[in-house]
Amino acid sequence: MIFRTNEYLGYPDRISVPAGETVRFQLSSKRPNVKVEVLRFRCGDVDVNGPGFKYEVMASNVDGEHACLDQPIRPGSNAIVEHDGALAPTQGHWCFGAYVYPTRIADNARAVMGNWCEASARGYALELDEEGCPVLVLGQSTGASARFALDVKLRQRVWAFVSVALDLVRRSATLSLIVPADGVQPIVAHAKSFALPQALALDSGLPFLIAAHHLNGEQQYASHFDGKIEAPRIFSRPLEAEALRVFDCQPRTGATEAGLVAFWDFSDGISTLSVKDLSSNGLHGSLRQLPRRGVTGFHWSGSVHDWRLSPREYAAIHFHSDDIYDCGWQTTCTLDVPADWRSGVYALRLTPGGNDPEANCESYVTFFVTPGKTSRRADLVIVASVATYLAYANSALRLYQVHFETLMEHVLWLPQDDVFMQENPEIGQSTYDCHVDGSGRAYSSWLRPVLNMRPRGYWFNLINDTHILDWLEEKGISYDLITDVELDREGARALAPYRAIMTPTHPEYYSFSMMNAIMAHQNAGGRHVSMGGNAFYWRCGFHPAAPAALEVRRGMAGTRTWESEPGEVHLAGTGEPGSLWRHSGFAPQKLVGVGFSAMINDTCGYYVCTAESEDARAAFIFEGVDRDEKLGDFGFRYNGAVGSEIDRYDLELGTPRHALRIATSEGLGAGALPTPEEFRTVVDGLDGTQNALVRADMVFFETANGGAVFATGSITYGMSLGHNNYDNNISAITLNVVKRFLDPAPFVIPAQA
Amino acid sequence: MDHTSDPSAMRYVIDPSRLDLVEEFRASPLGVHSPELRKLLARMRWGRPEGRLVLIVLEPGKAWRLSRIPKRRGDPMPFVDDRVFTSLAEAEWHVFKLRWREMTGETLPAEVSGDL
Repeated sequence: MIFRTNEYLGYPDRISVPAGETVRFQLSSKRPNVKVEVLRFRCGDVDVNGPGFKYEVMASNVDGEHACLDQPIRPGSNAIVEHDGALAPTQGHWCFGAYVYPTRIADNARAVMGNWCEASARGYALELDEEGCPVLVLGQSTGASARFALDVKLRQRVWAFVSVALDLVRRSATLSLIVPADGVQPIVAHAKSFALPQALALDSGLPFLIAAHHLNGEQQYASHFDGKIEAPRIFSRPLEAEALRVFDCQPRTGATEAGLVAFWDFSDGISTLSVKDLSSNGLHGSLRQLPRRGVTGFHWSGSVHDWRLSPREYAAIHFHSDDIYDCGWQTTCTLDVPADWRSGVYALRLTPGGNDPEANCESYVTFFVTPGKTSRRADLVIVASVATYLAYANSALRLYQVHFETLMEHVLWLPQDDVFMQENPEIGQSTYDCHVDGSGRAYSSWLRPVLNMRPRGYWFNLINDTHILDWLEEKGISYDLITDVELDREGARALAPYRAIMTPTHPEYYSFSMMNAIMAHQNAGGRHVSMGGNAFYWRCGFHPAAPAALEVRRGMAGTRTWESEPGEVHLAGTGEPGSLWRHSGFAPQKLVGVGFSAMINDTCGYYVCTAESEDARAAFIFEGVDRDEKLGDFGFRYNGAVGSEIDRYDLELGTPRHALRIATSEGLGAGALPTPEEFRTVVDGLDGTQNALVRADMVFFETANGGAVFATGSITYGMSLGHNNYDNNISAITLNVVKRFLDPAPFVIPAQA
Repeated sequence: MDHTSDPSAMRYVIDPSRLDLVEEFRASPLGVHSPELRKLLARMRWGRPEGRLVLIVLEPGKAWRLSRIPKRRGDPMPFVDDRVFTSLAEAEWHVFKLRWREMTGETLPAEVSGDL
């Protein structure tokens, strides 16, 4: 049966909810009604060759049919300034302008600043037209707009200063463009004056906007700017364009600037969603849909790469017409999670319901239930990789990347969700994708539908992780589930109730708090079963002012589909450097003994035991396992336990000296290629047929206070657990480890360590 | 522009007389291939996404159908024909033949171009 999985879309207000608390769901559909059920998932994989689509239907207060609105997604970021008319020119002079750095000139006009309303055709604005020419737009009492253009085109990715001088007494306007000298180009200045019509209507009655026009008076916006804008300013006295440009706004006590109406300094509050006006009018504003701050401005010297050290060099904001943080939909239903529900992966199942059910129409909205205040805790907790789910949320890699089919080594298989994303790009993409202007996407939020974080969806990450839950259920191992969002917010406290934690197939994106929480747990006698690969790789952060969004800066290294612009590696939200943990002195090896080495694009491999596997310290791991067997030369989907993305042992990168490398991979071929940070010069012999660093290592080591760590170093490990009805050497090894890690008897670090 | 972003970064030229590579691929479309065939496949699979043949998953692990990446984001994404593949190897072979014709201008002789 071919399922239609996007007839209903939705998102929760919180991604994880403790049992006993509430979570609100915002749903949308062209259909007027939706039937809601709540499912707790054991395995979300519908592949006919897998362990099966397994779930339990949970009775709840949202069961049944609900009215459902058709709620649009309106992407595009901008700044909004409430002004009570102060920013609508009425008489005399009105000079305004800003530095702009357009990154996409195409399709339609791009607003720079003003209060223009397209529906009422009132107000005023400075914009760039679809050719990149500056245009002054003015409302008239006749209801028609007056447009005056400068016949000079701005270029993409070149800083320029655009400005307007209105003289409402002489009824004239001058539109100016100054392109400061850059590279081999000398400074260029253009200006043109126009006679103004008689009856102007310059007050739309709406807030002043930067980087958008009002579509109407209903808080809907249009003509979003793609690119950077810096230091928009307004004077109510006459100023030449160059004087307006070089005006340096540095307020001093007791010295106000005559005629200065507003000067928005985006270098103030880079980690916030507020924009500050330095004038004495205090016309502060706010940002919507999370544009990117902490970006280099016109005045960036190149000598500083951290915006915290020189905010004035980072006085720009990069707006995008396809930024999306929060769809802002109305709530459809609110789930009261019963206090006695088990923690786990949950989803709303959304179907048409009614008297004529459609068996092939089924959508999901995933959320996670965590233990509540009164929940009895298990000894083991699974930490779901929400940061990673977000980093990949609505990934369009298969749709728009030049290299991706060569990387995957087969014709790309697109789930129907990819078709939906192609046809409905407003849903927003992942941090692997680029905005329409070609700049990398730094933010991904759960306050929008996330198509590939759903049961029945694309398997990478969440669905692969449910194979581990399926195995735990099969083996009767009691577990709780929390998410890494709890690690981010609560740190080590989130792990304190547990003897052992398990991180699943691909915990790739980890914030500072998340990393240190796991380190603290391990050092306090906790145990950690690290089931995945490419783990603990990117240094990222949730944005403090937009906490549903993960922020990623790619830096200049690592396996990446875009890289940061020069000087833009530091996160706007927290200020810390993005890029790889390895480049912040905390390679994954230091946490779990192994770290990213390679991607496997062709056939997967398996492990063979090393001599260190015979160490008595590791004996418990191999009980009942023949050490001479290939370990994991089987598995669902990938056909091998060593595959997709793999991690290796490295003392120099921080693997503890007493760690035992108990098994290492074999069977990798020419499609096993190292991650770029693993080589410094391109030489022959880099691929898996020759390169000894292209491998997965299975490691074990003890930690302080009786703790221990076991790491598999491979994403596909978890999909081998269910092979042969869960009876296989990967399953046996994992069960040995889990059982011992749940045993309170302390581990002891060997004396020589 | 960097290598992985440049649609023109692969310089391999497909030699239409190398039917031995065609036969090698046909024998095992999803298998491990010789270095020369890997080069040919890397070239075939590289390039601008617009117009690229892709398989739409109708039923995971079971049924697939061909489509192409449209020119513009937001445009509809129709299927290119009526054929439903129930084997990924068959689909891979079918796309190989279409690309061979597109990239070499030549149709493969019958003795090497039949179904698997």
